[in-house]
Amino acid sequence: MQSLTLSFLVIFALAIVGYVVARSRALYVADGDIRRLVSLPSQHALNVAMSTAIPPLAAILIFSLYARLTDGQVSWLAGFVFIALAVTGFALSMIGIKRETRARNLAERWIMGLLIFASTIAIMTTVGIVFSMLFETRNFFSQYDWRSFFFSTSWSPNFRGDSALGILPLLWGTLYVSLIALIFAVPIGLFAAIYLSEYAGPRLRSVAKPAIEVLAGIPTIVYGLFALFIVGPGLRDYFAAPMGLGDSALSVMTAGLVMGIMLIPFVSSLSDDIINAVPQAMRDGSLGLGATRSETIRQVVIPAALPGIIGAVLLAASRAIGETMIVVLGAGAAARLSLNPFEAMTTVTVKIVSQLTGDTDFASPETLVAFALGLTLFVITLGLNVLALYIVRKYREQYE
Amino acid sequence: MTTSLLTADARTTKRNKAEARFKAYGLGAIILAMVALVFLLGSVLGNGLSAFQQTYITLDVTLPEEKLDKSGERDLAVMSKVTTIGYAPLLRDALIAAIEAQGIETTLSKKDIGNLISKEAAATVRNRVLANPDLVGQTVTFDLLASGRIDGYFKDRVTMESAALDSNTSPEALMIADALKDAGMVATKFNWNFFIWADASDQRPEAAGLGVAILGSLYMMAVVLCLALPIGVATSIYLEEFAPKNRWTDVIEVNISNLAAVPSIVFGILGLAIFINFMQFNQSSPLVGGLVLTLMTLPTIIISTRAALKSVPPSIRDAALGVGASKMQSVFHHVLPLAAPGILTGTIIGLAQALGETAPLLLIGMVAFVREYPAAFSPDAGLFGEPAVALPVQVYNWTQRSDPAFFERAFGAVITLLVFLLIMNAVAIYLRRRFERRW
Amino acid sequence: MEDMYHADRATSTMQDIKISAKNVQVHYGDTHAIKDVNVEIADKTVTAFIGPSGCGKSTFLRCINRMNDTIDICRVAGDILIDGEDIYDPKVDPVQLRAKVGMVFQKPNPFPKSIYDNVAYGPKIHGLARNKAELDEIVEKSLRKAALWNEAKDRLDAPGTGLSGGQQQRLCIARAIATAPEVLLMDEPCSALDPIATAQVEELIDELRQSYSVVIVTHSMQQAARVSQKTAFFHLGNLVEYDDTDKIFTNPEDSRTESYISGRIG
Repeated sequence: MQSLTLSFLVIFALAIVGYVVARSRALYVADGDIRRLVSLPSQHALNVAMSTAIPPLAAILIFSLYARLTDGQVSWLAGFVFIALAVTGFALSMIGIKRETRARNLAERWIMGLLIFASTIAIMTTVGIVFSMLFETRNFFSQYDWRSFFFSTSWSPNFRGDSALGILPLLWGTLYVSLIALIFAVPIGLFAAIYLSEYAGPRLRSVAKPAIEVLAGIPTIVYGLFALFIVGPGLRDYFAAPMGLGDSALSVMTAGLVMGIMLIPFVSSLSDDIINAVPQAMRDGSLGLGATRSETIRQVVIPAALPGIIGAVLLAASRAIGETMIVVLGAGAAARLSLNPFEAMTTVTVKIVSQLTGDTDFASPETLVAFALGLTLFVITLGLNVLALYIVRKYREQYE
Repeated sequence: MTTSLLTADARTTKRNKAEARFKAYGLGAIILAMVALVFLLGSVLGNGLSAFQQTYITLDVTLPEEKLDKSGERDLAVMSKVTTIGYAPLLRDALIAAIEAQGIETTLSKKDIGNLISKEAAATVRNRVLANPDLVGQTVTFDLLASGRIDGYFKDRVTMESAALDSNTSPEALMIADALKDAGMVATKFNWNFFIWADASDQRPEAAGLGVAILGSLYMMAVVLCLALPIGVATSIYLEEFAPKNRWTDVIEVNISNLAAVPSIVFGILGLAIFINFMQFNQSSPLVGGLVLTLMTLPTIIISTRAALKSVPPSIRDAALGVGASKMQSVFHHVLPLAAPGILTGTIIGLAQALGETAPLLLIGMVAFVREYPAAFSPDAGLFGEPAVALPVQVYNWTQRSDPAFFERAFGAVITLLVFLLIMNAVAIYLRRRFERRW
Repeated sequence: MEDMYHADRATSTMQDIKISAKNVQVHYGDTHAIKDVNVEIADKTVTAFIGPSGCGKSTFLRCINRMNDTIDICRVAGDILIDGEDIYDPKVDPVQLRAKVGMVFQKPNPFPKSIYDNVAYGPKIHGLARNKAELDEIVEKSLRKAALWNEAKDRLDAPGTGLSGGQQQRLCIARAIATAPEVLLMDEPCSALDPIATAQVEELIDELRQSYSVVIVTHSMQQAARVSQKTAFFHLGNLVEYDDTDKIFTNPEDSRTESYISGRIG
C-alpha cells in the first residue's frame, strides 16, 4: 500500500515535470520559432506527460488485480518496476522531440486509448456483476441442493444448519407486490399520458407534467417511509381490520400501492413518448371519418402504440421486481405463500438485504443464498429489460 | 340518411357520452397522481417539520470544584476523568432547585425529575467545561436539551394519556414541563444541531442528528463526481464521435441501456463482492459507497451526455475539420464546450439520483452506527476510507429504532434530503434554461 | 337504402348547390390565413382548389369538415352551409358532420389494421351496419367503388399498410366512401403517388363524381384540368377567381390567375 502511494506520487511528479520540460525542449529544438515545428510545443508536452504516466498506471492496475487474485502482497520491488516504466516512457518520448515529430498524432493516440478504456468500464461492470454473483452462487449450490432452492416452498433460515431456503415464497411475494403495483400504475399512468398528450391544454400540461415528474424524482426511501408510517397503518385501520382481513400494517397491499404511485410517472412518461410517436396522419384519418377523439384513441392510437406500451409495462415490471426500499419498509419480512393482499409477505430483494446486512459469514449457505437470489433477480430483470428494449426499439423503427 | 346536422341523432349522443366518460377517466388519472403527490409531500412535511424544532431547558447550573476538579489545578487530564455520570446529578439538582424556586409542587422523585433533561445534556456541559476549565466553581446558565418525551409533549407527539402508560415519563413530569414553560425556562428553538450532531443511541433521540450522514453523502458525491463525470464523458465521446459501427460497439450500447435498468440492489451485491470481499476496501466507507454509486450513475450520465453531443450539429465539426483541426481537436475544442451545459445538467440529475439511493449502500455496510465524523483522508484508512453513513441510509436506520421520537427525525431527514434534491434539480433546470441552445 | 338515395340524387341537376361559403375568415394565431372567401360548390361535381403553396387552399378545405377544430390556435369566422345548414352552428356535432363530409389526405394514412378493418372502421363507429353481412356488403361496395376490390378481395385480412402507395390511397378513399358521405374532400390526394397510381386515382375521382360532390386540392394544374369541372384559384388567402375549369385555364379574368396558369408565380 505504502509503495503504491509512493509510486503514484513519483509517476505524477515525473509526468508534470515531463510536460514542462518537453514544452521548453520543443521550443529549443525549433530555435525559439514554433513555425519550424510540425506539432505545437503543447502537443509535445502532452505526449511526454502521457507517455510517462499511462504505461506505469496501466501496469499498476494489472499488477494489483493480479496480486489480489493470487492473494499476494505488492512488494516494494514492484514499485521500482512502475517507476522504471515511467522513466523509460519519459526518456523515449523526450528523445523523440524533433522538429518533424508528429506529436499531435502521438498524443491523440494516447487520448484515444483512454477513451476506449473508459468505454469498456460499462462492460466490465456487467462482467463484474455476473461473475461476482456466479462465483458465490456456485459456492452456495455446493452447500445447498439447487432443487430445494428453486422448488421448495419454505423459507426459514436458522443457525442450526438445517435452514430451508426455498425461493418460491419470495418470488411469490415479489410477483404479488409487483402485480398490485402495476394494477395501480398502468391504468393511471396510461390514462394520464393519454389525457396529457391528446386532451390537455397547455396550461394543465405545464402544471401536471412537472408534477408527475416530481413523483419520479423522489427517492425510494421516501416512498418506503410513506408506506411504513402513513399508508400501512391507514390501510390497516380503514380497510384490512374492518373487513377482517388482518391487522398487519406491513402488507403486500401497502407495498404494492406505494410502489404503484412510484411507477405512475415511469409508465406515463414512457407511454407519452410512445403515443406521441404515432403519426398525426393516423389521428387525422380517423377524425376525418367522423370518429370521436376517444374512438380514435381506443381504436387507432392505442392499437398502433400497443407494442411500445407493452414494452413500457415490461420495463415498469422490471422496476417493480427489483425495487428494494419500498418492500423492505412496506411489505414485511415473513416469507409466506398467501393470497390475502393485506398480509405481510416478503420479496427477493428484502431477503437479499436481510441476509447480507449485519454479521455475515461468507462460508454459510444462509449468507451465500443472497447471491443466488441476486442472480435470479438479475436474470429475471435482464430478461424483461432486453425484451422490453427490443420491443420498444422495433416499435420506434416502424415509425421512423 | 339525409338527417339534419342540427339535431344530434341518438347514436351520436351516446358516442359523445362515451367520449365524455373517457375524458373524465383521463382527468381522473391526472388528479389521482397529483393527489398522491400532494398527500405524499404533505405527510412528509406534516410529520417531519417538527424535527427542525427542539425543546431546551434553560438552567443555572452550579459547577462545584470539589466534584469536577478535586485537585483544583484545572489539569485537563485529571478533569476529564470525571465522566458524564459525574455531571448528571449537577444538572438534576439545578433543575430541582429551579422547580422549588418557581414554587412548583410535585411528588415526583428526584430521579424522575432528572429524567426531564436529556442524557445528552451532561455530555454537553462536560464538553463546555473541558473546553473552558475556568467555568469550574461558577454558576453558569446553560440551554440544556430536554428529554425526548418532554420535547414530544410540546410537539403533540406525547399526550397526558400516552404518558400515563409510559415508563419513561409520567403526566406529572409533563405538568412540571408545562409549569417550567410558563416560567419561561423551557423554550422550543430551531434545531441547528439536527444538521451537525452525529447519530445518537436508542435512549436519546433528542440528540440524534444528520452531521455524519451529510458528511458521508457529501464524500460519496465527491467520489461519484470525480469518477462518473470523466468516465461518462470519455465513454460518450468515444461512442458518439469515434467508435466504428460494429458488433463490439453494439454490445457496449445494448449493455449501457441494460445497465440503466438493472435493479440498484444488484450494484450493492457487486460492491460487496468486488470492492469489499475481493479488493478489501473498508466496509461502510464513502469510497466503496461512491464507487458503487458511480457504476450506478454512469449509464444515466452516458445517456444524457450522448444526447448533448448528438444535439451539436455536424456543421460545427465540419467547420473545425475544414480549417485543418484533427477529429480529436474538433471534438475537444468545439463539440465538447458546446455540449457542456447538457452534460452538466445530466450529471447533476445523475448525482441527485445517486444521493437518494439507499439499497446498495445497505449491503456495503453503511447501516453501521457511526458517532465519529469521518475524515476525508486518514493515514490508516486512506482516502474516504473511514466509516460513514449516508442521508437516505440514516433515514432507514431511524425507522428501525423503537422510540417513536426517531420517526419524526426520519421524516426530518427526508425533508433535508428532498431539499438537497430540490436544489440540485433547480440548478439543473436553471443551467438548461440559461445555456440551452437551439440550432 | 343507399342505392335509393343515390338514384334519387342522380335525378337532380348539375347546378344544385351543395356547399356555400360566405365571408369565411380563418386565423392561425396571429396569421390571417383565409380572407373573406365566398364560394358555392355544386353537387355531383369535381371542384378543384388550386394556387401556390401557403395560399390557404388546404386550410379552407379543412374548414368544410371542421378538421381545423383539432388545431388549438385555429379560429374560423363566417358561414359555411351544407344543404343550407350552417356547419359551425353550436348545435352541430363535428362527429356527425365528418360522417357526411369525408376526407382523403395528402399522404395515404391507412390504419395499422387489416384492409377489411380499415374500410369497416367508419361504418362500425357510426353504426351503419346492423350485422356482419351488411358490413361485409358495405366493405365490398366501397372497395369496388374505389377500384380496389379485384386487387384486395383475396387478402382482406392483410394489413392495409402492406399495400403499395397507390393502393393505400385508394384504400383511404374506400374508407372514406364507406361512411356514405355526401361530400368528399381530397387534400392533394396524389402528391405522394407515382404517375401510374396518380392516373388510377384520377380515373377514380371522375367516377366518384356520379355519387358525390368532390372537392380536391391540388398543386398540379394539369390535374385540375383533367379531373375538375369547376376550379377555384386561391392566392395569399384570397379566392381570386372561381369559374368553370375550361374558362379558368383558357381565358382567366384576373391577371394573377393568368400569371399562375402560365407559370410566372407559384
